[in-house]
Amino acid sequence: MDFDDSPDEAAYRARVRELLERHSGELLRLSPGQENVDARTHEAEMRRTQRVLADAGLVGVPWPKEFGGQGGTLVQQSIVSQELARARVPVLINHIGIGMCGPTVIGHGSQDQRDRYLARLLRADDVWCQLFSEPASGSDLAALRTTAVRDGDDWVVNGQKVWTTLAHVSDYGILLTRTDPERPKHAGLTMFVVDMHAPGVTVRPLRQMGGQSDFNEVFFHDVRIPDSERLGEPGEGWRVALTTLMNERVAIGGAGGAIGPTVETLAQHARDRLPALDPERQVLARQAVGRAVVAALGARYTGYRRLTVLSQGGIPGPEASAGKLAGTEAARLVADAGVRLLGDDALYAATADGDDQWQRTQAYVPGIAIAGGTDQVLRNILGERVLGLPPEPRNDKTAAFSASRSDGGAR
Amino acid sequence: MNFDLDDDQRDIAAGARDFFRGSASPAAARAGLEGGRLEPGRKALADIGFTGITVPEESGGSGRPLLDLAVVAEQGGAVLAAPSLVTAARASVLLAGEPHLAAQLADGSTAFAVLDGSPDGSAPSIDAADASAFLALDGDDLVLGEGEVVPGRPLDATRGLASVRLTSRRVLATGAADLWARARQVGAVVLAAEDLGAAERCVQLGVAYAQEREAFGRRIGSYQAVKHMLVDAWVGVEQLRSLVWWSAWAADSAPAELPLASSAAKACAAGAFEQAAATLIQVHGGIGFTWEHDAHLFWRRAKVDRLLLGDEAEHLDVVARLAVSGAFAA
Repeated sequence: MDFDDSPDEAAYRARVRELLERHSGELLRLSPGQENVDARTHEAEMRRTQRVLADAGLVGVPWPKEFGGQGGTLVQQSIVSQELARARVPVLINHIGIGMCGPTVIGHGSQDQRDRYLARLLRADDVWCQLFSEPASGSDLAALRTTAVRDGDDWVVNGQKVWTTLAHVSDYGILLTRTDPERPKHAGLTMFVVDMHAPGVTVRPLRQMGGQSDFNEVFFHDVRIPDSERLGEPGEGWRVALTTLMNERVAIGGAGGAIGPTVETLAQHARDRLPALDPERQVLARQAVGRAVVAALGARYTGYRRLTVLSQGGIPGPEASAGKLAGTEAARLVADAGVRLLGDDALYAATADGDDQWQRTQAYVPGIAIAGGTDQVLRNILGERVLGLPPEPRNDKTAAFSASRSDGGAR
Repeated sequence: MNFDLDDDQRDIAAGARDFFRGSASPAAARAGLEGGRLEPGRKALADIGFTGITVPEESGGSGRPLLDLAVVAEQGGAVLAAPSLVTAARASVLLAGEPHLAAQLADGSTAFAVLDGSPDGSAPSIDAADASAFLALDGDDLVLGEGEVVPGRPLDATRGLASVRLTSRRVLATGAADLWARARQVGAVVLAAEDLGAAERCVQLGVAYAQEREAFGRRIGSYQAVKHMLVDAWVGVEQLRSLVWWSAWAADSAPAELPLASSAAKACAAGAFEQAAATLIQVHGGIGFTWEHDAHLFWRRAKVDRLLLGDEAEHLDVVARLAVSGAFAA
């Protein structure tokens, strides 16, 4: 057991720092107190930042070299992530492409697709999104209704996706569709790469409860996708989607990185604000801070354990769901402690000087308990696949999807 | 970065599991509530070398890091073994300058206990009930003495709690406040390790029952209301494991992190073990509320341990104060 860098890791970290310093003038940086930047207003700078980092070999570190990656380790990736955070570089614009879409193309795409997409994805020449959820199928993803119908060498897509992060700046997406409603729901799905600029694709922003617009709804009206853009065989879409979802849960809180503000950010905030509270409130605020720090450290060190397993050749398993579950709870406690430290300012959406970091964080937390697997779905996965508890009886797994719907599956 | 046990530590854990399964059990913890002997007892723990794991080799111990003791303590916790390895861990820190006494700790020839609170009337202290030599902090002095032992009616007999008034005292070290604090932190790590083992056992027993008990025509583990309770308890155990390993590692390899890490582990242990024990009872329903079932023995251990060596609120306050005073400053 050793939390320090090995000599190799230390050398790698030094090289990463040196590269970040060399390119510092070309990188977008977060200002103090700022947690992220809006892709709507900073798209060009965010794309440039990722391109510079990719050309320096700092994007897609664990991806195989043949796909434009560095053939590095997950530990090296986590070193890069730590150093990017330390240098105050915001989350990469193509984080969904890197974390979820790319691995899905690697796992299930044709050689031609890999050649055309992956290197451009890493450089943010193309930004990617993940088109899974629909208005009538969130947790029950396999109940989705967007259809793809074969027509010659093409498939014709109709339907609607929702909660699609970054669709408004995306060039491509991975799109899960129903291609055979007469088969059971999980067996009738097929995955495609869709060109977000194709005729018939319409993206409309959705506004979140906190006021921001990070996600969208996406409409498909007679959108033609060549069969060569299929990922996996027809009817294999569920298996392909599981690749994406597994990578998602590792990407979100699976390897020691915090969901939301870090312990370090909370500690600095406590240093700044605690002395201003009256003594009784300080006692209560310290309890909240202590509870948040313990939860965040528990999640962080559990992530380190998972990272160790992965770096020794383990594959991401259902345990990653525990990382997201615990990370979400830690984020909730960190946000709550951060707001408590504001005293009376917690009653407003921003402090008198206009700072709204903790209020924004507080309003962001309900979303992370839903996105990428709700807390409840994750508990089902962990209960059944890690603890070995029996599943609930279901009657939707064997019947034809069309038979499960009152309208017979027609749109 | 390598945050996992090594092969040696896995072997130590496996050996400890076999030893404790053969020498202690919740049944013994139940018997202890009615005056029965505690298992495996001081002599057996000394004979197999567990009380001397962190005692230097020149005093007859193994001179191993605290992490080794923590993985052993976890296995003891799983079967509610007594006495606690907290005493061995804490006393071996306090006796670092007393090789002769440390040897008596390692070989079990003297029954030590470490007192919390005043030596003129201590707080209920772990394994004081059957001890004959007491270590205490008297002002700033580390003292060793004999004492008058006053046990209470046990909530959890395996903890051997008693209050002690020293009747003699010999100063082992002056200006010992820092040493005392470090020993208490090490004790908190080992207590959290024992709680880890016990909490994980609670989850295992709860899962096993939920896999076989049927209600309303199906196994109760299939109901989300039951399943999610068990998952939450398991997630708590996993967080606790990470904090126990980190804090035990820090004791030897990053001493500056020990105050934060030990308090984080102890605070986490209090909640995680209580949650796991309460879940164990609830999943079992009526049978889990009976004297004959083992569930209450884990629950008793949880209700006592959460208050020993500082309760959750105390340790959360320590964590927050360390955070505010710069523990996470870049």
